[in-house]
Amino acid sequence: MSLAATPIRRDALPPVATHGIGWDVARDLFFVAVIASISLGLGLAKNHFSSQPLPMVYRSPEQRLEAELTTLVNTPPANLAPAETVALAEFRSVVDSKSALILDARSSVFFQQGHVPGAHNLARDNFAEDYRRLSPVLKGMNDKPIIVYCSGGYCHDSKMVAHALMMLGFDNVRVFTGGWDEWSAAQLPTSTESAP
Amino acid sequence: MTIRNDSARNGVALIACLAIGGVFIYAGVTKISDPLHFADSINAFATLPPAVIDPLALGLPFYEIICAVLTFLPPTRRVGALALTVASLMFFIALLSALLRGLTLDCGCFGTGVPSRPRMWMELGLDFLLVGGAAAVYFHSLLRSPRSSTYVIGTPDL
Repeated sequence: MSLAATPIRRDALPPVATHGIGWDVARDLFFVAVIASISLGLGLAKNHFSSQPLPMVYRSPEQRLEAELTTLVNTPPANLAPAETVALAEFRSVVDSKSALILDARSSVFFQQGHVPGAHNLARDNFAEDYRRLSPVLKGMNDKPIIVYCSGGYCHDSKMVAHALMMLGFDNVRVFTGGWDEWSAAQLPTSTESAP
Repeated sequence: MTIRNDSARNGVALIACLAIGGVFIYAGVTKISDPLHFADSINAFATLPPAVIDPLALGLPFYEIICAVLTFLPPTRRVGALALTVASLMFFIALLSALLRGLTLDCGCFGTGVPSRPRMWMELGLDFLLVGGAAAVYFHSLLRSPRSSTYVIGTPDL
């Protein structure tokens, strides 16, 4: 039987090679890039509709905590939850007996010039950094009361710091409304040393 | 004999696809619900700038799931396998670099975990297997597909 006599069907032939492996790999990589773009689009869309979307630029846990604390302590005075207040006589006995943690909410400049003996500086204007520094002290407080003061009179810093502390889970926080003005006017002992 | 070898290879490739795809679907699902922790895990590698970390944390879980699904489907298996090879290679390099730099971290590969160097070595080994498996599936599909302009995305090979 002669080969020349055998008919060959065109559709029985294998596909004709029109390009090499390199072209296939390049084309596959193009599709991978398309998939990556679609995935990014889906991720961004999900983030957009999320209740707590991520910012486009990453923030480390430390940066997030600082932003959260700064927002917390800057709550407008009108929106602050009322904190219990302490009068001078009671505040003085607490300072003498060291039965509470005393926090000075004024700026560090004023704190260094003079403060209530044993007080720690948790400045309203540097809250995030001071809070991180004082975290070991605050966490060791357990149920011990915390009393916050600022300049006195109409200053809001002590109330803002007290509010932030309550929002952070500290229940027993009070404010000495007379503040530094009333304490120093009463010629009570002062200190320029930082508490240990 | 050749037909038997081919079907055996196809069977191995199918099992590899299912295993690799399963691993990536699991990895994607565990990460998709908590992109914040995944972003923290990426940041722990200390290799990428902040502007890249969050978009990567948002997009990568979808990429893993989509590619895994593509490897399950014969017409798209080749592209899916290549995509997973690229991803696994990226993870392998990142993890190896972290190990060589002496870092101890949670790679975030399968959700949140405890930073541990023995675990990092185990995950490096898993990444090595995934790179090898996905690359083998890709080249298996690539070499078996007739290179013709009539094929658009890979070739159904199973």
